[in-house]
Amino acid sequence: MSEQIIKASTSSEAVSAGALAGTRQHAREDVHVTTMRRRVVSGFGLALVYLFLIAMVIFSLFPIYYVVQASLAGGQNLYTTDLHILPAQPTFDNYIYAFTQLPILAWIGNTFLICTATTAIGLIFSLTGAYALSRFRFQGREMGLGLLLAVQAFPALLALPAYYLLLNALGLINNLIGLILIYTAGTLVFGCWNLKGYYDTLPVELEQAAMLDGASITQAFIRVTLPLVTPAIAASAIFMFLAGWNEYALANLVLNSNATGSNLTFVLGLFGLQGDFRTPWGYFAACSVIISVPLILLFLYIQRFFQSGLTIGGVKG
Amino acid sequence: MLKAKRATIFLYLLPLIATITLINLWPILYTFYLSLTNYTLFNSDNYKLIGLGNYQKLIFTANSDLFFVIGQTLLYVAICVALFLIVGMASALALNNPKIKGLAIWRVALLVPYAVPSAISALVWKFLFNDDFGPINQITRLFFGPNAGVPWLSAPWGTFTAVVIVNVWLTYPFFMVVILGALQSVPQELNEAARVDGANGLQRLVRVTFPLLWPAITPVIILSAITTFQMFNTVYLINKGGPYTSADKPGFTNFVMIYEYNNILGANVANPHYAFIAAFAIVLFIILGSLTFLSQALARPRSREGMA
Repeated sequence: MSEQIIKASTSSEAVSAGALAGTRQHAREDVHVTTMRRRVVSGFGLALVYLFLIAMVIFSLFPIYYVVQASLAGGQNLYTTDLHILPAQPTFDNYIYAFTQLPILAWIGNTFLICTATTAIGLIFSLTGAYALSRFRFQGREMGLGLLLAVQAFPALLALPAYYLLLNALGLINNLIGLILIYTAGTLVFGCWNLKGYYDTLPVELEQAAMLDGASITQAFIRVTLPLVTPAIAASAIFMFLAGWNEYALANLVLNSNATGSNLTFVLGLFGLQGDFRTPWGYFAACSVIISVPLILLFLYIQRFFQSGLTIGGVKG
Repeated sequence: MLKAKRATIFLYLLPLIATITLINLWPILYTFYLSLTNYTLFNSDNYKLIGLGNYQKLIFTANSDLFFVIGQTLLYVAICVALFLIVGMASALALNNPKIKGLAIWRVALLVPYAVPSAISALVWKFLFNDDFGPINQITRLFFGPNAGVPWLSAPWGTFTAVVIVNVWLTYPFFMVVILGALQSVPQELNEAARVDGANGLQRLVRVTFPLLWPAITPVIILSAITTFQMFNTVYLINKGGPYTSADKPGFTNFVMIYEYNNILGANVANPHYAFIAAFAIVLFIILGSLTFLSQALARPRSREGMA
């Protein structure tokens, strides 16, 4: 790199020497022409950049705009083959129907419950496990780490019959706990690796000092290291929460809809709304907006915290 | 390292070991066991071990589903990842242009797809692609007459294109943010030096900027290739892996996970052949496992190179 810079600076000296050699008048005309040309070219380039950005914004926002306007179109207005940019008679009927006739609040509640429980259990199990893997030396430690990596390569979806058998034996079919168990197991490996990596960066002398002062290992674990790993806990928690957020296949395996569908997650509920022949698009659109809007607002609020990195965002499925 | 009693160590590891053994390891071993039997829904009481017969049928049968499904999946991965990279790179370069006004607004507008739960996005796009009532065909008809329009969700390549577009919509913001972050860490002096040397904008981009971006982009490419290979949700929610062109062939967008799911819980399968599908699962596991270890090995020296 430094070589390149040196080379560049020497050649720029050569250029300036050349410019000095020419007559002053000539040089000024030259500069005038090139800046003019550069301004026209860069103005054209800038217009292209703006054009591209506008196209990308339309691509990004059109689905959202469309579903919002569809949620406001009443009755049969959506079953038309002509394009409507705005609904003819906007109405909140679809929203009223969603809140009064569809178990949308139960869907959201179930999903939140599952994701929160997955996060809580996943964090506790992976914090203790990661701590042991980072701080203690024991037989089979290396093998265990390799095994974790191998296990992670096996998506739960590949073992649907095994999971059905397992949950059936435990009496957890059609039970949110069954789903929480599967999701937790799916997030443990990531949580463990992530937290172990972070523990490895903390000097073990911190705990050794605490233990010299009379702390037990558990006290050192909870009172010394736990406050220090909060950034890694936050990243793992987001990953764990989102693991079951959008999931369809396992949820569909475990949960059977009851008469009203109030025991489902929102993905199952929304998918169920889309019948194969005649979908109530208006209700579907209203439900989508109800679920997404709080999340979009939350995202807009927190997005400034991951301005450039967004490594925690890499976990979205 | 901390010294601890064996009992203490065991206690710390117990929740992890118990969960992993019961809910991760046992299903894998059970699936492997299933793959060596002739278990189907109808003979679940009197099935027996048959050795490697399922694997033989899976791999050596002419026109086996395995190669069609993996081929479709790899094609999907290649097209998607290339587009993530192109669209993400172009957006990042546009946002990185110092002359752009209102940067914060553009940035947020381009990030919004990332904020919507992906399952909802998939279902919304399914609505947009609806042959009759979807706005995409409505717009096409507006410009090209009442008989125009693409049968998005009933034509094989229509569906394939649709699930590519949706996946790009879902994922390009992530690539954009990563590339933007990497772009901002490229030292300005290098570009200046190249400009003085007489390199034009394109040359500076290809010769100076791109080589400096690769260390940041490579892990993201590997990660997204593996996730796209295993993609289930988005594609399934849009068309359940269809359309099906003949009864005994997998649907055109039956990517590996969807093929697996459809053969166990799909509406068209009268007698699920659990053992045969278990063999398919184990073959996939071997592929995914090798990819994981390979990417681990690849990622390490790359990151060191990036720091030098």
